[in-house]
Amino acid sequence: MKRRTPLMSVILLTLACGGAGDRTVIQNRGSDTLVNVAQAWAERYREIAPNVAVAVSGGGSGTGISSMINGTIDIANSSRAMRESEIASAREGGTDPIEHIVGYDALAIFLHPDNPLTEITLGQLRGIFGEDGTLESWSDVGVSVPGCQSDEIIRVSRQNNSGTYAYFREAVLGESEFKLGSRDMNGSSEVVELVEQTPCAIGYSGLAYATEHIAMPCVVVDGGACVTATVQTAVDGSYPIARPLFMYTAGTPEGAVGAYMDWILGPEGQCIISDMGYAPAVEVDCG
Amino acid sequence: MFQATALNERNRRVEFLFRVLFGLMTVLLVAPVLIILALLIREGGPAVSFDFLFTPPSDQGRQGGILFPLVGTIWLVVVALLASVPIGVAAAIYLSEYAPDNLLTRLINLAIINLAGVPSIVHALFGVGAFVVFFRFGISILAASLTLAIMTLPVVIVSTREALQAVPMAFREACWNMGATRWETIRRVVLPNAISGILTGVILEVSRSAGETAPIMFTGAVTFLPFLPAGVLEPTMAMSLHLFTISNSVPNMPDEIKFGTALVLISMVLLMNAASIAFRMYLRGKKKW
Repeated sequence: MKRRTPLMSVILLTLACGGAGDRTVIQNRGSDTLVNVAQAWAERYREIAPNVAVAVSGGGSGTGISSMINGTIDIANSSRAMRESEIASAREGGTDPIEHIVGYDALAIFLHPDNPLTEITLGQLRGIFGEDGTLESWSDVGVSVPGCQSDEIIRVSRQNNSGTYAYFREAVLGESEFKLGSRDMNGSSEVVELVEQTPCAIGYSGLAYATEHIAMPCVVVDGGACVTATVQTAVDGSYPIARPLFMYTAGTPEGAVGAYMDWILGPEGQCIISDMGYAPAVEVDCG
Repeated sequence: MFQATALNERNRRVEFLFRVLFGLMTVLLVAPVLIILALLIREGGPAVSFDFLFTPPSDQGRQGGILFPLVGTIWLVVVALLASVPIGVAAAIYLSEYAPDNLLTRLINLAIINLAGVPSIVHALFGVGAFVVFFRFGISILAASLTLAIMTLPVVIVSTREALQAVPMAFREACWNMGATRWETIRRVVLPNAISGILTGVILEVSRSAGETAPIMFTGAVTFLPFLPAGVLEPTMAMSLHLFTISNSVPNMPDEIKFGTALVLISMVLLMNAASIAFRMYLRGKKKW
């Protein structure tokens, strides 16, 4: 979809022995939370529109948004909303980012399967992850974890350009910062892998990354019931740490990008995202 | 005949000690490579098959093979070679055969050495700014390959220059005395005698380009593309990035696919290096001096 100067194209097409023909490439980059869904969409869309190739890349929400700002991609995936300042700099560069909510993601809390904790409050999460938090050991939380001799809580978090990191801070820590000294992983499945193998650990990531080797405590909404992270609780809004997942297009989507966005938000695209453990953005019946 | 003195004994013991010590250091150097290879072959060997190499990945790489990343890496490396070999060899010929030994030449040499020391992620950022954004190549094979080409230019220049300088001066002088021009001498005498060294540098460049992730991940390589690239202005999947993706962001990824992908990547690089060594030995054997 990116336009190039015609002269350059002629030279390069000769170089490319035939060139790209009439195929359209849609460049889609961003959130590591969405990258798996984006790949699944791209893979299935090959059958729907064989002359459209959707190129998907991860790197984090920040990577997608900055590529949108410098105009090198058609669709940015993001697990957080674009900031005012980011929208402004995109407009300065001649791109008007249009927001589309394509699904919802419950951020699950992950524990080692030996950890006896079955429910955790938002206050406890703040105490563990927040910079002013005082919960440093599992006995502070009121449990003793078999296999965790040091009793120390090992906090597993994400790198700071991750949308998951940004959303967790916003939803759980409020205004305050993360406590220093957490293990910051570069991908959601790395978080899951580390927690699976570390009895002392606690981590967070999208529900879609949960495996059968990991424990998920339900989360107590202040003074209320304990809600388990599921697609259902993310859809009805009862789970407290669920967030929208965004795709940003450069301007109102038209042509191939428009058709692709329509397909994503249609029943087939929405059933794919729901199959992968996320809540769909529109009500669908996937049988 | 001679009685071993205490000093002789001592010297011999010290000698033995150092021989063993240095020998151990050498083993220490080689051991990790062998251990990695053995591990990859044990864990990934069963996954590598004809089908694995020639089937495109599906289900985010959990199923199918590695056809698209494999072909993508070949695209990236070939286009990078097309750009860097002519420039690098020409620059090396200038520096070795034409350039006078003055301040400017020394500055150029210094710049080349420094270029070799620039971290690959810095090359990546340069590639995004220059090729992706400024020249409007977009996220494409062309942008990624040119970034790789710039990153590997110092290797080509330095190895070519060394190969040219290894050709004895007497060859050139004999040629000039027959009335040949500088260019005729280079073409007929210097280059044919230096070709083995030049090719070694080129093959080293290939193996380095094939393994790099940082310079391509923002300029042309993508996590997933459901087709083979159809030209240099399209993005592509690549082996190194594919390995990075399937090992850190795909849940429930079968281990043998990760190890198998790593095995294919490392085999590509090792085969290329082995070919370079074998080729050099063959050409050395043919040399008459």
